[in-house]
Amino acid sequence: MTGRWVRLAPLGAVVAVAAAVALLVRRAPDHLEPVDAWCSPSLARPFGCGEGGVDLFALVAHAVLRGVALASIVAAVGFAVGTPLGAAAALQRGRFERSVDRACDLIQAFPTFLLALAVLSAVASPTRVHLGCVFALTAWAPFARLALAQTRVVREAAFVEAAVALGMGRARVLLRHVLPNVLGIVAVQLGSAGATIVVSEAAFAFVGFGPRDGVSLGNVMDQGVAAMLRAPHVLVVGALAVFATSAAMLWAGRAVEAEGR
Amino acid sequence: MLGRSPEREHRLAVAAVAVARRIAEALAVLVVLSSLVFFAMRLLPGDPAALVLGDQATPAELAVVRAKLHLDESLGAQYLRFLRGLTTLDLGESLRRPGTSAMSRVGEALGPTSELAGLAVAMGAALGVAAALATAGPWLGTRKRWVERGLVVVSATPLLAFAPLATYALAARARLVPLPGDPEAGFAGLAFASALLSLPLAAQVGRTGRAALAEIAHAQFLTVARAKGATPARIWFLHALPVVTGPLVTVIATQLGALLGGAVVLERLFERAGLGTLILEAYASRDLPVLEGAVIAAGALFVLAQALSAVVHAAIDPRVRA
Repeated sequence: MTGRWVRLAPLGAVVAVAAAVALLVRRAPDHLEPVDAWCSPSLARPFGCGEGGVDLFALVAHAVLRGVALASIVAAVGFAVGTPLGAAAALQRGRFERSVDRACDLIQAFPTFLLALAVLSAVASPTRVHLGCVFALTAWAPFARLALAQTRVVREAAFVEAAVALGMGRARVLLRHVLPNVLGIVAVQLGSAGATIVVSEAAFAFVGFGPRDGVSLGNVMDQGVAAMLRAPHVLVVGALAVFATSAAMLWAGRAVEAEGR
Repeated sequence: MLGRSPEREHRLAVAAVAVARRIAEALAVLVVLSSLVFFAMRLLPGDPAALVLGDQATPAELAVVRAKLHLDESLGAQYLRFLRGLTTLDLGESLRRPGTSAMSRVGEALGPTSELAGLAVAMGAALGVAAALATAGPWLGTRKRWVERGLVVVSATPLLAFAPLATYALAARARLVPLPGDPEAGFAGLAFASALLSLPLAAQVGRTGRAALAEIAHAQFLTVARAKGATPARIWFLHALPVVTGPLVTVIATQLGALLGGAVVLERLFERAGLGTLILEAYASRDLPVLEGAVIAAGALFVLAQALSAVVHAAIDPRVRA
């Protein structure tokens, strides 16, 4: 029982460290000191500086916090929308079930990155809210698919049959009997969905679609690639931060996984 | 020859219906996608003409761009024009390069991206199958656990994190591969970018293949092969591998979308020409016809690859043929 929550520790640690740094290091993540541009890591600046002398310690901390917040919200929205949808589709059977199933197939295989680029191009300068909305457009699919598969098992159970026989409405069967049995399994997807969103946000910022404030891990990577020969520490810091954040998210998702076993 | 037995004709008819349904579905996906792109550009807040010209534009300039994009017509008329343009592959002129059609710019960009993605799929499939066979076969002994761990680590590592690091290590430090942006990178540059892009795919293929092979490891037909004295290589390559090709083809098909997304990141990293670069450039300069064309072309590429994978699956595995 206790062992499973240990898996939340990496994410907790990443967020705690980032929050502590963001609070304690007084430099703003977008504060520039051109004299120190591309300076190497030192005691005063543990991660060194990036383009225009931005302090990477502060920038990475703020970027991680914002990325994790965005990913948690979008993953939660996907979970809240996808799970009832998938469960309802499987309970309904027939055409509705098939179309939800097929839609999930398509969305999961689709180059959603390109779709998001197209939708984002309609706004002059994307903000984090825009990014979140675009991610939420497709984030529900993996949850819906899992809920669908799990409900196909649950709907054959005797207690569902009994509830239907007792004359319960479809919504009531869904809420009282099906969803409680599905939630635990579907929640497993939260971690990998969150990790995907952390990486996607960074990828968008990397290719130049990020939030205008420039506080994103993707911007750190972008600076790092541009200055690969001059200041390789920027690239290393950015890559490690992306990896640590997404791995912590994945790991945290496994905290729910053990419950089903 | 079999002749035209009624049963055979019936099976052909069923297959024809299945193919027709797939084609219809692929077309429907393309139409929905392109409509989504069309309406996203026009219905979301913000005047496309103002986006193209920026804040300083005079009303007269705005009117010219509106007329050029046909934004002065009603939405219905615009949509009809757009659909007609789709069927004739003519989405209008590129705004930034007057005189060039948007579709010709998209066509130019499709080549490099197809090379990159195609080579990555080939590499990823080969690498993934090799890893799966290594974990299933007897060759590695207890060391196969390292392969399994490697698969987990690679699949948990985002391309965005390891691709720039690998580029720094191999291009900037070791000088083994061309630096990003090197105009004379040639095939070495393409191969390196494809290899990076193929790694996440290889991890997925490897994990799926491993699970599928483990499932049939004790199947009767393999026991028979063993009893006949077949070598492990013969057992796993000739008897087991064809059986698990289905799931592998399916997993490659579902990873194609992620692969195209990764291609955008890598094109940016290596400053390669391609669909991703074109989309980013068209976005930055608000070249709407090119942007629409590029996204739709990417969707078409994807739908085509999906259909292809279904055909390959059916050709390899007689069990999925209707």
